Amino acid sequence: MQDLFAEYRPIPGYDEMFDGGAPRPAYEALHRALAGLDADAYVELQDAADLETLNNGITFTVYADDAGAERIFPFSLIPRIVEAAEWRRIETGLRQRIGALNLFLRDVYTEHRCVKDGVIPPDLVLGHAAFVREAVDVVPPLGCYVHVAGCDLVRCDDGEFRLLEDNLRTPSGVSYVIENRRTMRSAVPQFFPRAGVASVDEYGDRLLESLLACHPSGVHAADCRVVVLTPGPFNSAYFEHIFLAREMGIELVEGRDLVVSDKRLYLRSTAGLERVDVVYRRVDDDYLDPSVFRSDSMLGVPGLVDAYRAGNVAIANALGTGVADDKMVFRYVPDLIRYYTGEEPVLDNVPTFLANRADDLEYILDNAADLVVKPKDGSGGYGVFIGPQADAAQLDRQRRKLREAPAQWIAQPLQQFSTLPAFGASGFEPRRCDLRVFVVTGERPWPLPGGLTRVAPNSESYIVNSSQGGGSKDTWVLRDPPPEPA
Amino acid sequence: MLARVAENLYWLGRYLERADNVARMVDVHHAMSEGSAFETVLYALDADHDFADARAADPALTPESYLVSSLASPVSIRSVVASARGLARELRDQISREVFEQINALHLALERRSWPRLAEELDLVRSSAPAIFGLFENTVLWTEGARWFRVGVFLERADMTSRIVDVKYFLQLPEERGVGSALDRAQWRQVLRSASALEAYRKQRQGLLRVDGVVDMLMFEEDFPRSVAFCIGRLLAEFEEAAGRTAPERKLGALKEIMLLNLDLKSANAGDVIIDGMHEFIDRTQARLAAVSDRLSSDIFRPAALPAPKPAPGDGPLEAALR
Repeated sequence: MQDLFAEYRPIPGYDEMFDGGAPRPAYEALHRALAGLDADAYVELQDAADLETLNNGITFTVYADDAGAERIFPFSLIPRIVEAAEWRRIETGLRQRIGALNLFLRDVYTEHRCVKDGVIPPDLVLGHAAFVREAVDVVPPLGCYVHVAGCDLVRCDDGEFRLLEDNLRTPSGVSYVIENRRTMRSAVPQFFPRAGVASVDEYGDRLLESLLACHPSGVHAADCRVVVLTPGPFNSAYFEHIFLAREMGIELVEGRDLVVSDKRLYLRSTAGLERVDVVYRRVDDDYLDPSVFRSDSMLGVPGLVDAYRAGNVAIANALGTGVADDKMVFRYVPDLIRYYTGEEPVLDNVPTFLANRADDLEYILDNAADLVVKPKDGSGGYGVFIGPQADAAQLDRQRRKLREAPAQWIAQPLQQFSTLPAFGASGFEPRRCDLRVFVVTGERPWPLPGGLTRVAPNSESYIVNSSQGGGSKDTWVLRDPPPEPA
Repeated sequence: MLARVAENLYWLGRYLERADNVARMVDVHHAMSEGSAFETVLYALDADHDFADARAADPALTPESYLVSSLASPVSIRSVVASARGLARELRDQISREVFEQINALHLALERRSWPRLAEELDLVRSSAPAIFGLFENTVLWTEGARWFRVGVFLERADMTSRIVDVKYFLQLPEERGVGSALDRAQWRQVLRSASALEAYRKQRQGLLRVDGVVDMLMFEEDFPRSVAFCIGRLLAEFEEAAGRTAPERKLGALKEIMLLNLDLKSANAGDVIIDGMHEFIDRTQARLAAVSDRLSSDIFRPAALPAPKPAPGDGPLEAALR
């Protein structure tokens, strides 16, 4: 029988599955299970899994496409496997990081000690477009601003995981983590290791628990009403909003379902108005309350910010968290961790240069051909310039853009993100991947053991965003093997 | 339950029932193969003027496509099913996976547009809609949401059956409208068939088709699940369950209209109605059905303003300050 991986040729960078020609220890069992298959049998398994995904209606919406078209998120049967010890480091690092970022946000909206002490330039904080005046001096319950974070990690050439980006507003993707696992469990149970893989099923319970822990002071947790607020069916993550409402057994509402009266929030039910205490919102700050932010927004609730300021409703994530997940602030996060916790960061950042700093700009202009240049406010992989893949004209154009508006750009060395096998037209081929880990915070940060591994659409691409047509993989965090009997 | 969700479930029920009924009507008239047959259906759906306007803009438009496949037509089966599927997608946290998949499958099948024969397409709709209703009964919690869904189904079915009777009756020659008149049997057999009532009629009445018998079957027969009287009886029962938690002042408007309808249908019989004026009776019935729908919208689903509940004891600013 032809070895499924006979034609697999790793490309520069760290390959997650193979070290030289041999599978890494964590992948040995999986490799053995796959060795018994030929390409046709593998494709058959993959087709069965795809059909399950389609029937489940696990879809997302692509904006650039014709309006509101739904697509399946392509999903591959080879998981990313994270060893128990590796995961402990990620877990510790993210607990530390999200803890520090929550302290940072509290500081930003109250005393600005970090600015006074010169840890971070004031314009990056108080002059930030995402700074929300209405959040000043309102400390949410438990001092928790970021109830749900999506931290994007990459594994670099040296085998180390580093932070690429924090998403602290309304990060999405966790529904795929849970659905991918369910699909894997039913499609290829024989792939799972005997020692076990950490479960991702308790995410909904943990999230609800955290949301309840952050209830407003005027109500008892037991009487608390929590809702998920969605922009509506045309949002690209609508499937996820429904999914989370179902996992938590709570109501999915739109802005028009809610009404504020006397600084209290209510939902319109067939029985009348009913009090709402905690809003897990998947609507951006700008659209949350037309009486305060964008007046043309149909997605929000007039008066919601008033109710929030009065302490009658908790909003998760809190208002104004965008200050902390900015690509420029990102450069300062390791300093912020040291400043607020007195500890060294457990997880490093990917090196980042800010074009609005004169020294950094010079470096970026000189080395643009080796750098990835990103718009500081962009997301979803739009407008990203990849130096090593650009021709002379594109390089010139990017340099011009940098000089014209340096404050709009940041740059990072092109990371040889680690690769994983994905099944392409001619068998398995290596694809770049990243890892989004979801951290839920109530009393304290809890990283979901697993995550969304996103893969690039082909071997050449470095862009792994779902909106750019890449796919996803299940992520297994291995349990420690049982101790050897004495 | 969220008022918006209740309203969406209500319309999901209406759209699915409507798709089923339009398919039934097109099916029987298609089988009659008369030139004017589809016009009759357009007329029954109050869509004849809209069709004329649409055809003026697009001369290629046929009555058949306007009723079955045109997305420009609000009454076409395809449009109605697409609307139902859009709602079902929004309602995924309310309905079972089986119900969603069945609606999704019907929608995808109609979008494929590769039907060799119209009859097969209509058959699919006519078998899918009742299958969805069955799955709904068997896989969705019988709580408030399912009640609103059925309020929609029975209101729509009552409306559609009354339209079928009305248009057929109206098209009869005046001398054929009397009690006991001999009938154009072929036509009335089709009417019964479009309501799945032909076999039921034979069983129930063992006689020849008579105009008062047919009207009685479709309008007043309490044991026939597509008759207007049956549907109104169920509508009343489902509404009372659905609105169980709704404040009295918000449900009385709709409840009054449904009860009056129920009374009308319980106290009338075909003979009297034919003598007093069939068309007027049906007009009144339809006006009441429309009034029910308006009341549901204005009083329960989308009220302009609702009073905020009084803060519970221990919920005032003083208590909060002391806490």
